[in-house]
Amino acid sequence: MDDTTPSTTPSRRAFLGGALRLAGGAWVLFSGGPLADALATAGAPGEGYDWTEHRYAYLIDTEKCIGCGSCARACAAENDVPDGFFRTWIERYVVGVEGSHVDSPNGGKDGFPPVQVGFEPTKAFFVPKLCNHCKETPCIQVCPVGASYRTKDGMVLVDGERCIGCAYCVQACPYGSRFLDPVTHTAEKCTWCYHRVTKGLRPACVEVCPTGTRMFGDMKRDGDPVRHAIEHDRVAILQGHLLTEPQCFYLHLDKEVR
Amino acid sequence: MEHARHVFRAVLVLVVVVAAVSIGRGFLVPPSYGLHGPYRYDNVQEQMDVRAPRHGGVAACAACHAAQADKRTAGGHRTVSCEACHGPLARHVAEGKRSAAMPVDRSYLLCARCHRKVLGRPEGFPQVVLERHLQDQQVAGPVEGKVCLDCHDPHSPKP
Amino acid sequence: MPEIQGFAFPNDTHVHWSLMIVMYPYITGFVAGSFIVTSLYHLFGHQAFRPIARLAMATSFAFLLVASMPLQLHLGHPERGPLVMITPHFTSAMAGFGILYSGYLAVLVLEVWFVWRAAIIERARRSRGVARAFYKLLALYTYDTSPEALEIDHRAIGLLAGIGLPMACMLHGYVGFIFGAIKANPWWSTPLMPVIFLLSAAVSGIAMLIVLYQALSKIKQRAADQACVAALARWLWFFLILTITLELLEIIVMAYERSESWLIISELLSTRLQFSYITVQMIVGGLIPLILLGIVVLMNRYLHERLRNTLSTVAALLCLVQVFSMRWNIVVGGQLLSKSLRGLRSPYEPEIFGREGVLMAIALVVIPFVILWVFDRVVGIDAGEPAGGAEGGAPAVADGTAAH
Repeated sequence: MDDTTPSTTPSRRAFLGGALRLAGGAWVLFSGGPLADALATAGAPGEGYDWTEHRYAYLIDTEKCIGCGSCARACAAENDVPDGFFRTWIERYVVGVEGSHVDSPNGGKDGFPPVQVGFEPTKAFFVPKLCNHCKETPCIQVCPVGASYRTKDGMVLVDGERCIGCAYCVQACPYGSRFLDPVTHTAEKCTWCYHRVTKGLRPACVEVCPTGTRMFGDMKRDGDPVRHAIEHDRVAILQGHLLTEPQCFYLHLDKEVR
Repeated sequence: MEHARHVFRAVLVLVVVVAAVSIGRGFLVPPSYGLHGPYRYDNVQEQMDVRAPRHGGVAACAACHAAQADKRTAGGHRTVSCEACHGPLARHVAEGKRSAAMPVDRSYLLCARCHRKVLGRPEGFPQVVLERHLQDQQVAGPVEGKVCLDCHDPHSPKP
Repeated sequence: MPEIQGFAFPNDTHVHWSLMIVMYPYITGFVAGSFIVTSLYHLFGHQAFRPIARLAMATSFAFLLVASMPLQLHLGHPERGPLVMITPHFTSAMAGFGILYSGYLAVLVLEVWFVWRAAIIERARRSRGVARAFYKLLALYTYDTSPEALEIDHRAIGLLAGIGLPMACMLHGYVGFIFGAIKANPWWSTPLMPVIFLLSAAVSGIAMLIVLYQALSKIKQRAADQACVAALARWLWFFLILTITLELLEIIVMAYERSESWLIISELLSTRLQFSYITVQMIVGGLIPLILLGIVVLMNRYLHERLRNTLSTVAALLCLVQVFSMRWNIVVGGQLLSKSLRGLRSPYEPEIFGREGVLMAIALVVIPFVILWVFDRVVGIDAGEPAGGAEGGAPAVADGTAAH
């Protein structure tokens, strides 16, 4: 008998129905993952460091910057930043009535050479830049696997074990703070030296700045001078119209700076 | 509905695949994922321990080089960190002891990086056009080698 | 090292989204476009498309199977690609990929199965040994080809087409959203982006089918159904008009509003993208097919069969080039301008070899046709639907072709 003709046995359907119900229950049970156990042990990272006690912020006074590049070199040394990529950099602005010129040779790591511009310059200044650790980051928003995240003490970090290297966050950052590390093939950026800050040290760039241009502070610490400046002085942020709420604040920022 | 058996069979296959994926997924989600947000919470501690700090700060240098540190605080470079010129502490100190020679760059290029006159530096900041400066100070010879150190002590340059 | 004209943020000098990211919307465009054509028959009952309804569905399926490959090839860590399914971060449009892709794949697999089920059962009956066992497995061990069962298939196909069409549109629309929702890049950031992507997907799908149908007609020594060719040309013209209109509208609004990004974008278009945007995308790929298709549509009555075939094929080939250049100009063009809005980098030249290279891109377009050939060998595409749809109840045989 050709076994490709249909047969009808209602009992098979009843069995299937029961199996489906059983399977459905098992599916619900197992799909949740190990979340339930882990929730019981939620707490702060590390011994002695409570991330809920801090909310970090960064302040830059562009009037003091001399463009020496010590910060960029220190950052590269502290964090193994590959050549040609920058976790922090310095830009020079030469501005006149007839035009403006911006440059950042090798990110400012080797200092700045003299420059000739094709117009009469009326003002010139340096602007150090780094990841702004925004509160409403576009970069975390677009990460497809949750490798980019924001800690409770205000740092935006990248989990190097989860990052798939899609570079969506690199495209989404309006400040050009991110890059794809050619060695690890994951997204990298300034971490405000989280490995130093959580031990009470300052980020490497702040540590070596010779003029006090770069300042690091804690918005939850009483008497913190950075906190005081942000709360009481006229501060600016980069590309504020994008509403990313950067936590890097600038004193004496010029309209030419984007 | 006897003619719809094939439909149920196809749907069954679909349901089995979906269930297998959902259950399999559950085993692949890392344990600390989702604790404080859509990320792997264990990474926070990993980032804190990613490496030992390499810059020590002035106090760490002063522990061994007290003489230079004192000279520095009295002079014009009192705000300049040692590591800005000598590189990070970790380059020559390991586990509290000297592990390699401390980098010392005596060439004029190091001084020029801050003090060469370029557009952008604040007006009040000490900066010179190097060739002019040598002429003004009546120093013969080109701008090369360790010419700055012939007159200036980097730990306490004249104010 | 790339050359920078003007000032670019130091990290902005690299083109991270390479040729593979140009290929991905190109391929999902074929998926969505072909599915639109097959849905025009299965869902909206456009009889003119009957001769190619099955071919269109098989084409959509073949390209869908390849669609995730460009992404995998591009990732810095392809082995972690599945993480998008395991811990998707749903604020990211890219996380939608896992759900949309697998959902649409399930719908399309089911629809393909329902459409070809009778053919599979027929082959199961006619073969022996391993082939017979294989076909029986494909049929999921049910062999009902009675008129009632085929009627159920017919309704299932309609239902799946109804679900599948919005899903296909979303599968490609979300790609446009990935670009359109990046406020950091002014060349990408516009609400028009998902719409433009979807409309040009329709253009590429229909154009691909025109070319494929003509090629298959030549290979099988069988005349292409002229009503079908005319209908394809008509819909291609319609979608091309919409696409070009919106692409131009985007530029016109930007130029008119003259906001801070316009200066660098106009420089981008007139220097780096002058050839690929103005010459290729707009003139060669836009204006010329508009004219050719206009002739085919408006003068349809007066056209000889050979002329209609030739004009629509040439126009379709140009449209395929247009859609590729549009993807290129958006993906690569957007990365040539720095977020400082003060600088452009030198043009991106993709590598020839290597996993993100030109040869790989060519392979990605060739592989679906290999899949189509295998598909034809296994279950037989037979281009058209059976005469009278499901009413006959007999296994599918179309338009006078001998069964394979």
